[in-house]
Amino acid sequence: MSEDATISKKLKRASQLLLYQHHRLPGAKGWELRKFVGRDYLKVIKLLERRFDDLGLEIKTVFEDGIDRPNPTDDELEQARFYVLSKSPIESGETSLTGMRIDSLAVLAATLAYITSKQGRATRGEVEELLNEKFPDWKVEQELRRFIRRGYLNEDEEGNLFLGWRTRAEIDRRVLLGIIAGSLAEVPAEQEQELEQELGKGQVQEEADEQEPEELEEIQEEGQEQEEQADKGP
Amino acid sequence: MDIPQKLQILKKILPNWKALDDLLMDAEAIKELSLMVKLQSDWVKRRASGLYIDPFLVEVKIKIMSREALAAALTASWHPLVSSDQITPRRLSRAWDYWNVLLPLSERLKAMEGVDEVGEKTLSISELIRLKFLSERVFNEEVSNLLAELKETSRKGPVDYWEFIMSDTYEDTVMRAYALSFLVSGGTANLIINPVEETMMVEAGPGTAKRAGKSIPISFTYEKWKEMKSKSDAHE
Repeated sequence: MSEDATISKKLKRASQLLLYQHHRLPGAKGWELRKFVGRDYLKVIKLLERRFDDLGLEIKTVFEDGIDRPNPTDDELEQARFYVLSKSPIESGETSLTGMRIDSLAVLAATLAYITSKQGRATRGEVEELLNEKFPDWKVEQELRRFIRRGYLNEDEEGNLFLGWRTRAEIDRRVLLGIIAGSLAEVPAEQEQELEQELGKGQVQEEADEQEPEELEEIQEEGQEQEEQADKGP
Repeated sequence: MDIPQKLQILKKILPNWKALDDLLMDAEAIKELSLMVKLQSDWVKRRASGLYIDPFLVEVKIKIMSREALAAALTASWHPLVSSDQITPRRLSRAWDYWNVLLPLSERLKAMEGVDEVGEKTLSISELIRLKFLSERVFNEEVSNLLAELKETSRKGPVDYWEFIMSDTYEDTVMRAYALSFLVSGGTANLIINPVEETMMVEAGPGTAKRAGKSIPISFTYEKWKEMKSKSDAHE
């Protein structure tokens, strides 16, 4: 087999491993890539990244402890998980593609920023107290439960909240904290306006907000099913 | 924490220790110090990663930001995952095989009920004999012996029910109570209950009476037996 054919075969294997979900979590671990692609899997990943670049995608390496490393060891890479992500963040017009309301996005932003600032761990009570400044108890409870289920947050038996695997993969926490703390440029005013308009469009959802929690639960459960479908992809 | 200073102290006092316990405590201290080094290392890593921002500042900012601004901050830092479900012809074929051998739900539930739904149930003597827990002949002998014993004991008058059935082991006591219940039901023994004094006496009846016996439920547990046994032992 020619060298080109071998590389092409390895690229296909690597892309299949990264794109098709074969475990509970998407992506692939370093050791899996080494096993199925070969010892030179990092070179193959770099080649694949160039191809993905044209599609606006990138490959992100998330280490076990969630902290980036400039020069990781082989062991650290083998235990790390490789994901395919959208290279650029979501544009405000595409926010509806996330399947989440503005309120939910705000709860997630505040929770992730707060937990990150507390070195990756905060008690549920602290987070609830912060969120209750702007949202009612039942809504906070509902949103936290949802984000735990979707992998953005983890909770231990003692009631501590941690950042989940999905946050480590999808959210650029440095950018999030930078915008919230003011060290990075704020989101353009037009983008905020667009979000406000979206909020206006969601009049039906606002009305749902005023309903009893039980009724809302039913409405949102329907939405959650759609979200879960969306999570799974087409 | 100044780790080298703590290690110096441990090094200085180490020659003074003679007892094993003291050395073990030093080992424990070194273990704790190494844990401290790890925690400090994590702390430095996190600070160096650029993710360190004063939590108080973040909290204040979150409180003053509008929900639209918070949502916009999240979307600006959000890179959605790309992933897809897949099914291969081989997997589909295995799923088809699985479907073919899978029993209908009604049958599976029935099988599960058979295993799990074994509740408490009262067995009759004939069932116990059929299950070979009891031998009919041995049981009849037990009942006859107990009747003879009751006649002997209650010659001078009724005796306390609990004292009569009490035996050295819980199993024997239960067996005696069970056999006595047969005598009471059959009318060959009388159970005299005094609700005012809360006493229960038993005496032999007038031979093989044809009169109807009575049926009185008596609760008897292991705890009750232990209590009666300790009283009985103390009395002796």
